Amino acid sequence: MSLVTTLWSMQAAAALTLAVLYALVWSTDRRNLANLMVCVVAVAVAVTARDEVGMMHAATVTEYAVWASRLYLPLFFAFVGQLLFVRLFLGTGRSWLLWTIVGARVVMLVGNFLTQPNLAWREIVALRHVTFLGEQVSLAGPVVLRSWHALSLASNVLFIAFIADAALQAWRQGGAEGRRKALVVLAGVGLPLAVTLLYAQSVLLGVLPLPLLVTPAFLITILVMAVELSREFLLNRQTRQELEDLRSELARAGRVTALGQLASALAHELSQPLSAILRNAEAAELHLNGANPDLDELREIVADIRKDDRRAGDVIDQMRALIKRRTLQMHPLALNEVVEDVISLVHSDALARHVALDYVMTPGLPLVSGDRVHLSQVLLNLIINGMDAMQTCPASSKRMVIEARPREEGRVEVAVTDSGPGLPPGAIDKVFDPFYTTKSGGLGMGLPISRTIIEAHGGRLWAERAPEGSGLTFRFTLAQAQGAVS
Amino acid sequence: MSAAGIVYVVDDDPSFRRAVTRMLTAAGLSVQSYSSGPELLAHLSADAAAEESGCVLADLCMPRLDGLQLQQACTELGVALPFVFLTGHGDVPSAVSAMRHGAVDFLDKCAPQQALLSSLGQALERDANARVARLKREQLAQRFAALTVREREVLEQVVQGRMNKQIAAALGIHERTVKLHRNAITTKLGVRSVAELTTLTREIAPFK
Repeated sequence: MSLVTTLWSMQAAAALTLAVLYALVWSTDRRNLANLMVCVVAVAVAVTARDEVGMMHAATVTEYAVWASRLYLPLFFAFVGQLLFVRLFLGTGRSWLLWTIVGARVVMLVGNFLTQPNLAWREIVALRHVTFLGEQVSLAGPVVLRSWHALSLASNVLFIAFIADAALQAWRQGGAEGRRKALVVLAGVGLPLAVTLLYAQSVLLGVLPLPLLVTPAFLITILVMAVELSREFLLNRQTRQELEDLRSELARAGRVTALGQLASALAHELSQPLSAILRNAEAAELHLNGANPDLDELREIVADIRKDDRRAGDVIDQMRALIKRRTLQMHPLALNEVVEDVISLVHSDALARHVALDYVMTPGLPLVSGDRVHLSQVLLNLIINGMDAMQTCPASSKRMVIEARPREEGRVEVAVTDSGPGLPPGAIDKVFDPFYTTKSGGLGMGLPISRTIIEAHGGRLWAERAPEGSGLTFRFTLAQAQGAVS
Repeated sequence: MSAAGIVYVVDDDPSFRRAVTRMLTAAGLSVQSYSSGPELLAHLSADAAAEESGCVLADLCMPRLDGLQLQQACTELGVALPFVFLTGHGDVPSAVSAMRHGAVDFLDKCAPQQALLSSLGQALERDANARVARLKREQLAQRFAALTVREREVLEQVVQGRMNKQIAAALGIHERTVKLHRNAITTKLGVRSVAELTTLTREIAPFK
């Protein structure tokens, strides 16, 4: 096999490999059309390579003309693909210029298949043979050009102008990353194109005794395009990761704050089993000091101590889970358990504030898909907020109701209703704004954090006037988990 | 320590209630436990229970009726039992309020055993003393009630330190009649000297 065939086959193979790779990348995120453009240009370059080899190895003028004419189709896709890539990658460039070039290219493509040998050339007078890479290859000898050739030239010049203009706009918009991308497009897409055009003109004018070649320059272009997109892909992933980290850090801060508000109630929650343990131990001591210790009584005492110890441990475990740094982990959850756990955390606080806390449980509630800790945080936040809102109400009317019930389309809705004074209609929408707070010690981050958590679960969180009384109802929806009923 | 009287334990936490009942029983006290204020009130409303001396050991923080409200309800019921409060997280305002309403003590749930026992001892003693004093006053009041109107008039003069002659003149009766009244008074009230009579009269204060 000749060196030319080998080298051009390798270029075609490289281009096709990139094409397959980027077709796969595009299929994972179809909104990112720049990936599709790399794929289109790469396929076009592979076909270009084949056509060029055909031209170089043409034995007759007719054979040469056929290959030259075929070249127009891949060239069309290579040009349009590059244009759209630049547009998508930089986000700049003039639309009218872009569509003018595409229009010119369409005219040339159609015209090419209507004329012989092609739109730009009236006649190939003869074939010449030159030595290229140690091999005799064919190239068009004297070529008689049509005036349509000017359209080809003009579209190419406009193309370079478009790239230069888009790069300039991107440069002006500034930012280190924007400027870098502008330079990359200029050097990686604009320069190979300009060099190819100059080269082709020189060949056509007979200045350079070499075959018409576009594949090497275009291969450079798609390599640059591919490298840039993969870099962007990695950067995006990093940014997403950073955002995710920030979100979970914020959520954790919210949980720690909520626990801080509950601190004294939690201390009470812990002191209950601890004091029971103490009294049991004292009772055991008194029995042991007596003449005939009652062993059955002592066994019961020890069993009770063990039970209370587990109870204290559970409170601590729950607190630890809330304080721990963690990202969203979705599991099928029984909502009833989550609500009961949260109620056990706020139970003492509610008692101390004389709030009657009711949970209306719907039997047969489907499992939801969610993160236990994050959902606990949302509930905790809504309950504490509600209790704070009822601060000034008379003790007899402080009532808080938590309801969970299935909703249409495989969703579960949770409603937290207080009997507080409520908010004027205009202010209800503001409660989710960051730093909006009605409490003297509040930071105003609880509800915005809760909303991001519920949205990360694919649900919605909103506030409305309570169906009865003057208070507020906060509702959120969650997706039902695939599978059984809790 | 006096072990007389019943300790009424009121706490909504079943585990703590059982533990503290166990410990106090082992310490030799007689204990009755209730899971809520209304339960204790229902028990105390019965006449027989009101006769028993005792004290209340109540959790300050309970659903519906909290410790302070229970104390007030007891007072309204006419059962003036001394209270010892327990709390998981003591706050100063409730402590002040509790003490103002006559609580014997205000303790942390994890307070030392001795502190708890001595507080309960004090409370029981206070109730026992109060009951003795009440009984004495009741008996005295009964005795005073037995005096006639004239005898009371004479008694009033006597405790002011008047002589029989002066009393006779003031009331317009014979001196010998005054003497007869005085004899009747000392017999009915069961006193021997004028000094004792004066002290008793001050205690009951029937003329105020």
